[in-house]
Amino acid sequence: MELNVKYAEENRSRFRNLLHKLWEPYKQVPLLGWLLAALVAVLLEMLVGQPLARLLGMSKIPALFGVILVLKTPILIPSTLLYLLLIYGLPIAITARLTAKLTDFIAAKLYNTSTGLSILLHVALLYAVLHLWTSISDYRLLVVKLTLISIIITLSLNVINGYMGEFSCSHPGFIALGAYTASIFTIVLFVSENQFGEAVLPPALGPYLFPIGLVLGGIAAAIGALLVAIPSFRTRGDYLAIISLAFMFIVVSLFNNLEIVGGARGLSNQPDYANLATIFVWTILSIWIINNFVRSTIGKALNAVRDGELAASAMTVDTRKTKMVAFLFSAFWAGVAGGLFAHVIRYINPGTFGIRKLAEVLAMVYLGGLNSVAGSVVGAVGFNLLSEALRPLEILKWIIIPVMLILVMIYRPTGLIAFTELDPIALIKPKSMTEGEADNATS
Amino acid sequence: MQLQSFFQQIVNALQLGSFYALIALGYSMVYGVLMLFNFAHGDVFMVGSYIGFFVSAGLLALAKTGILPLADNVMLGLVLVLTLFITMLLTSFVGMLIERIGYRPLRNAPRASAAITGLMIGIILETGNLAILGPTRLSFPALIESVSYDIGGVLVTNKKMVIVFVSIFLTLALHQFVRRTKWGMAMRAMAFDFVVVPLMGISINKIALLTFALGSALAAAAGILFGVAYPVLDPYMGILFGWKAFVAAILGGRGSILGASLAGFMLGFIEIFVAAIFPSTMRDLIAFSIILIILTFRPHGFFGEPYSAQLRL
Amino acid sequence: MLKKVIAIAFFMAIIVGACAPAGPDTIKIGVNAPITGDIPKVGEGTKFAAEMWLEAIGGELEIGGKTYAIELVIEDNEAKGESAAAVNQKLTTQDEVLVIVGPQSSKQAVPAGGVANDNKTPMVSPWSTNPATTLDRPWVFRTPFLDPFQGPVIANFVTEEYGFTKAAVLYDVASDYPKGLADNFLSGWEDIHGADSVVAFESFTTADTDFSAQITKIKNTGAEFIFSPQYYNEVALIVQQAHELGFNAPIVGSDSWGSAELVNLCGEDCYGLFFSTHYAADGATGATKDFIDAYNAKHGYIPDDVGALTWDTFLIIQKAMEDCGEITGDLAVDRACVRDALAQIKNFAGITGEMTFTEQGDPIKCAVIVQISDEGTFKFYDQACP
Repeated sequence: MELNVKYAEENRSRFRNLLHKLWEPYKQVPLLGWLLAALVAVLLEMLVGQPLARLLGMSKIPALFGVILVLKTPILIPSTLLYLLLIYGLPIAITARLTAKLTDFIAAKLYNTSTGLSILLHVALLYAVLHLWTSISDYRLLVVKLTLISIIITLSLNVINGYMGEFSCSHPGFIALGAYTASIFTIVLFVSENQFGEAVLPPALGPYLFPIGLVLGGIAAAIGALLVAIPSFRTRGDYLAIISLAFMFIVVSLFNNLEIVGGARGLSNQPDYANLATIFVWTILSIWIINNFVRSTIGKALNAVRDGELAASAMTVDTRKTKMVAFLFSAFWAGVAGGLFAHVIRYINPGTFGIRKLAEVLAMVYLGGLNSVAGSVVGAVGFNLLSEALRPLEILKWIIIPVMLILVMIYRPTGLIAFTELDPIALIKPKSMTEGEADNATS
Repeated sequence: MQLQSFFQQIVNALQLGSFYALIALGYSMVYGVLMLFNFAHGDVFMVGSYIGFFVSAGLLALAKTGILPLADNVMLGLVLVLTLFITMLLTSFVGMLIERIGYRPLRNAPRASAAITGLMIGIILETGNLAILGPTRLSFPALIESVSYDIGGVLVTNKKMVIVFVSIFLTLALHQFVRRTKWGMAMRAMAFDFVVVPLMGISINKIALLTFALGSALAAAAGILFGVAYPVLDPYMGILFGWKAFVAAILGGRGSILGASLAGFMLGFIEIFVAAIFPSTMRDLIAFSIILIILTFRPHGFFGEPYSAQLRL
Repeated sequence: MLKKVIAIAFFMAIIVGACAPAGPDTIKIGVNAPITGDIPKVGEGTKFAAEMWLEAIGGELEIGGKTYAIELVIEDNEAKGESAAAVNQKLTTQDEVLVIVGPQSSKQAVPAGGVANDNKTPMVSPWSTNPATTLDRPWVFRTPFLDPFQGPVIANFVTEEYGFTKAAVLYDVASDYPKGLADNFLSGWEDIHGADSVVAFESFTTADTDFSAQITKIKNTGAEFIFSPQYYNEVALIVQQAHELGFNAPIVGSDSWGSAELVNLCGEDCYGLFFSTHYAADGATGATKDFIDAYNAKHGYIPDDVGALTWDTFLIIQKAMEDCGEITGDLAVDRACVRDALAQIKNFAGITGEMTFTEQGDPIKCAVIVQISDEGTFKFYDQACP
């Protein structure tokens, strides 16, 4: 018995050693290398994915890493695994390793020339990967679009619930305000034969002016947020939670009563402006701005307010201003996300922004992790992919997802990646540089 | 509004308020003692209602076979009382199970995490119900033979009287329990400070279990009364009631049982009278605006203490 | 070690690949149904009707002299709009279905219809009554009649049957179907009886169970009847509460009442009431009776209107596929062919009545007025055709 245990332990450590050995060379791969490897994998999928899938007995390229396929027809598990290995696993591993020296060299060069340029290049590469990956299947495209929008929503909620430590339930309301405002903007201006009359401007201008609609949506949400922010001066915590909940009910009821936007019948006819590039740019923008926001003085002030309002106030933090800015800022991004959402689905109705949406966004924030930009990204992506991939399970899906979330909460009470700072400069840093070198390069 | 319909609306509001009050009590207990948002509570109410359905259906079937040889009206009353007791007992076990599985491991975690766990447990209860019983809605057996009394043009049914009576009775009973008994004193102590009190030899786990058991039993009572008043059961019936009762519980103030109950009745009155006076399409809009305004000017609810609401993150 | 794993996986994959069924002789039909979410009963009815149809045709269909295996791809949309859109996107591009049945309620059908239309895949919604579902979407069809037709039908019926002049409406302001029908009834009633003839236009919010405030209010306005285009579970509560509050005038309903569950939940309180719907289960003959009996035998209850309409939808797409004459295997061609065949359908005799599609993809069909008998069955009473 004891021997067995010992043997198992030895085996495990041998396995760990093996993993360690395999991983060793990859420590030298910079982010640039990984992105390049992903690009190679995606290109490979575009070129040989379809015939390979056919050869392996699948009728199509598995859209979401084959999870849906496997759940429907378990007999395809080996071929799906093989597909994943041949298209993603091996190419990424090989490319990353072979090009490690080269990419690290390039990363170092870029890093030394201009970090801004380097970040831009990374983002562009990421977009290229996503663009090619989603070009294979429209289903993938829709899932990626909704996931990106969820990232904005989750991030913006994290500002209030994570960084400021409130329990705000008003986010569906902010999203609704943004969605309706942006929809009205584009429909009135650019859609002919709509419920508001003829198009005011030539529709060709639409895609260029779409950002204005989104910003207006964000501003509308921010104005709505005043209703929650002002009471928050005098109260917080639990009472604020129900103020925000009341706000959500008020917004839903308001749109139900507004005949001009269709009431419960909803508003449709939004033009198809929210393509992947637009959503991607807005998502990156939101990550960048929110990340800067929470790392700035005001972000630290938020944490101070969370940890003790009186103390913060004593330390010269203007708590009112801090709370106000946080609410408006967070609501603005939720509104932008709402505008994008409305133009992806191209139909909205008040019922979409109710308690179920609330449960979803809360789950994403707390799954990913409080007080963490990276956590929010992980939470949104994880939750969306999971709920899309487990769709074939039907009823069971809504037992499995909550159970997984409860387990996360029990073993990591603050979420998967909580209380971390996201430093984009550190991310793109070449691996060969030591700390000192990197510091010299930036200064 | 005519006087007669004004009184009729008061009767209506008392009935609706009774449910909010009973469910809010459960919220308020957990919230007061453990500082937790038990978002699964609305679904515990649903589970209580379903358990009540099966218990009462079983008892009625037993009665039909003649094991309980009583006159029909006496028998119905007996079935109602038995159903209440058995269901409250069974549902309190459900509550304790939830505490044990979902909340105890998170005792030292941020409160918001426990709130998310509650939300997820709620979803599991709803979906589990749907998976086991299917989507067909159940019709709760008529445990009270409806009799209407016309009091000066105001119609009052015996159902309504039973509902309001039971709700007020349970509130007062709970109030006395918390004020007068040793267990109640321990709960109040825990609510006062749950860092120090466990050092005095009071087990926080026992108190937590008791709190959940009591809260769930009250939710079960609400569930049965709900079945009597609105005899259509479906797996999602607890969501909206749960959230509204949550509002009532917080509005009542932390740790205040009478406060939660009063706030529940107040919510019932607001909803009924807003619908009665204003166009009813605007009901939610106006009702929740009133709550928002109340909280803007009374930022700590009605009976709550100002600094009890600090988040423990 | 790694090599071994790869070798084994590859070997197994080839075996599996060899066993996989050949593609082109199978026709896939997508079903987009709300199996979880707020309206699971609707999802169940959809699923049951779809499976019954598959069984009825024996899992295969002869088109242009060739037999094709039929495969249903049933997906859950969780009763959410964005989810329904994702499901349709998946069905059209991943599963490569020939035609989509569903989604049922407009909240899902409007966004999902947009996806189907963009992907040039024919879609037929069995239950959605929102005009936006099919508006300007040549690829989207539906089988129920629309609210602008049903609302006036009920207004006319009440006027002729009872001779009432003062109406009250009680509906769910947050749900699109009741809201749409309430508005259309209002305009239909006012066309007959003039402005202000609807003396109370009261509403509540989804998932409410207490309607006493609204009913008390209605009672005081002196309304002669209530029109309530609600779902049957709410109808049971509305009728019971109205009786408890001493409102004993008739309560009239719409096709959303049409479920066997109504009588289970409502009991004797609902006996004698009228509602407009697609078919009368009691006294049905021919194909309608066959369907009802088969459904009842299999699932233990009389099918809801969702079940009947879904069944009709399947018969219609079956006819469209057969009319198409040939399935080429080129999805784009076949989908276009099915769409054209759908648009051509004339005087199709379904169990919910005879229908012909308009240019918008909406059916022209008759409504029946049904009375709930004292045995709790739905008896044919009257018929109204456009």
